[in-house]
Amino acid sequence: MDIEQRQSELIDHFVKQATAASNAPALTSVIVDATSHPLLFAFSEILDLPNVVQLEATDSKVYLDMLRLFAHGIWSDYKSNAERLPQLVPDQILKLKQLTVLTLAETHKVLPYDQLMQELDVTNVRELEDFLINECMYAGIVRGKLDQLRRCLEVQFAAGRDLRPGQLGNMIQTLSNWLSTSENMLVSIQDKIKWADSMSEVDKKHRKDVEEKVDEVKKSLFKKLHTVSRATSTSEGMRRSALNLVE
Amino acid sequence: MASSSSSGLTFKLHPLVIVNISDHYTRVKSQMNPSHAPHNNTVNNGGDSVVSSLPSSRVYGCVIGVQKGRTVEIFNSFELLYDPSTNSLDRPFLEKKQELYKKVFPHFYILGWYSTGSDAEEADMHIHKALMDINESPVYVLLNPAINHSQKDLPVSIFESELHVIDGIPQLIFVHSSYTIETVEAERISVDHVAHLKPSDGGSAATQLAANLTGIHSAIKMLHSRIKVLHHYLLAMEKEEVPRENSLLRQVSSLLRRLPAIESGKFQDDFLMEYNDTLLISYLAMLTNCSSAMNDLVDKFSTAYDRHTRRGGRTAFM
Repeated sequence: MDIEQRQSELIDHFVKQATAASNAPALTSVIVDATSHPLLFAFSEILDLPNVVQLEATDSKVYLDMLRLFAHGIWSDYKSNAERLPQLVPDQILKLKQLTVLTLAETHKVLPYDQLMQELDVTNVRELEDFLINECMYAGIVRGKLDQLRRCLEVQFAAGRDLRPGQLGNMIQTLSNWLSTSENMLVSIQDKIKWADSMSEVDKKHRKDVEEKVDEVKKSLFKKLHTVSRATSTSEGMRRSALNLVE
Repeated sequence: MASSSSSGLTFKLHPLVIVNISDHYTRVKSQMNPSHAPHNNTVNNGGDSVVSSLPSSRVYGCVIGVQKGRTVEIFNSFELLYDPSTNSLDRPFLEKKQELYKKVFPHFYILGWYSTGSDAEEADMHIHKALMDINESPVYVLLNPAINHSQKDLPVSIFESELHVIDGIPQLIFVHSSYTIETVEAERISVDHVAHLKPSDGGSAATQLAANLTGIHSAIKMLHSRIKVLHHYLLAMEKEEVPRENSLLRQVSSLLRRLPAIESGKFQDDFLMEYNDTLLISYLAMLTNCSSAMNDLVDKFSTAYDRHTRRGGRTAFM
């Protein structure tokens, strides 16, 4: 998908920078750059780098936590841990809010405005809609319909965030559910086709039987009429004999 | 004799060319043996064809299109007469046709030629070289008219000529090239139309229903097989057999998030309403059929039994 393509170059660029950064301050500045870049939403490659993992042991652990927050967390996580984490630049705040929308879109297809406003710390609908339209839809990370009457956002597509370790199992589960549902669907469609064919066969047979019976009765009537017609010459008699035969 | 091409040209083929070639082949084949009347041999129709005892003849023609830099786009084609005695194509006819097409499509150039058969042959190089004075590197489009139900791809292959040194002699040989299918909107509509051909007599309701359901069935089957591939890949990734690829995982997670495709109260309401409407209409149709059958029965009954009572009371049975 195009978002991944756009990001792949940026990811490579930042990965190179991070591997080149030898000491902690350089690495932290790379992390801050990466998290403020407006087009980058994927951080797990950077998280996997050995130098970054080593930050765990140093004083700059807070930056590692911040990177983890950007990879997996949402805005309310930041607010609750604000003392422990470094101050965020406005770019980073914006990005964190975008990532929050992505996370919300993970669990529900229909996001009510109230929930969004609460999660994003936005007070009125106008601001919320501006944020959604400008930052999410134009960036291409979310595609959906804004329903103002029912005050909700119907998400049709949302870009993927970095995976938490446990999510892979869930994804496999979802995929296998999908597979089994489509298999059932295939079987039921085949059954329906067979049923339609057999029903039409039965109907054709029935029609043929009725036709045959009609032909038989016609033939027998005609034979009887033929034998009777010699005896009766009047039309009246003909009719009476015909009616005799009918009963 | 065909290996992979290394010229770096990308080929784009329009479906019109494929339909033209198969149409040309089918017409020639049916004109040759009108008593056999073979079924339509187009590549889209996987129906069975009458096994003809006569060997299938090869048809020849020219393909035209546009070449922009490294991209060769083949738009159209026309037929050419093949002279088996000189083993070459009818040159004056080719030039006349080229002039005519130039007037209508000024941008199109002759890009190469086409033929039918299962594989490129030595004799084809002769024709290929003859065309080289019009286009320094012509393309050879080959259509395999044999219908193979197990084959999933189009039996169309594109060959280019390359100078290879074989046994110390530089020779031109044919090499395979890959191509993509490119469609204009009008072509897409017509291909779609051909794909959805219903049986010509309209069939009974059952055959139409079966045709519709078969389409859905094959679509779901393809989706199913692709999801299976993804599933296996993720399983292998979980077992650490393949290295984790984060961007792919992100894409899969965003894909899974699109399910369920539609879910809202309003959709359920609309869906159930439409379903109930359909059921109601079919019930109404059934009722109408029944009442009309009943009406016929009553008419027949009255004609058979009641007429003579109305005519004045002389009943034959009482």
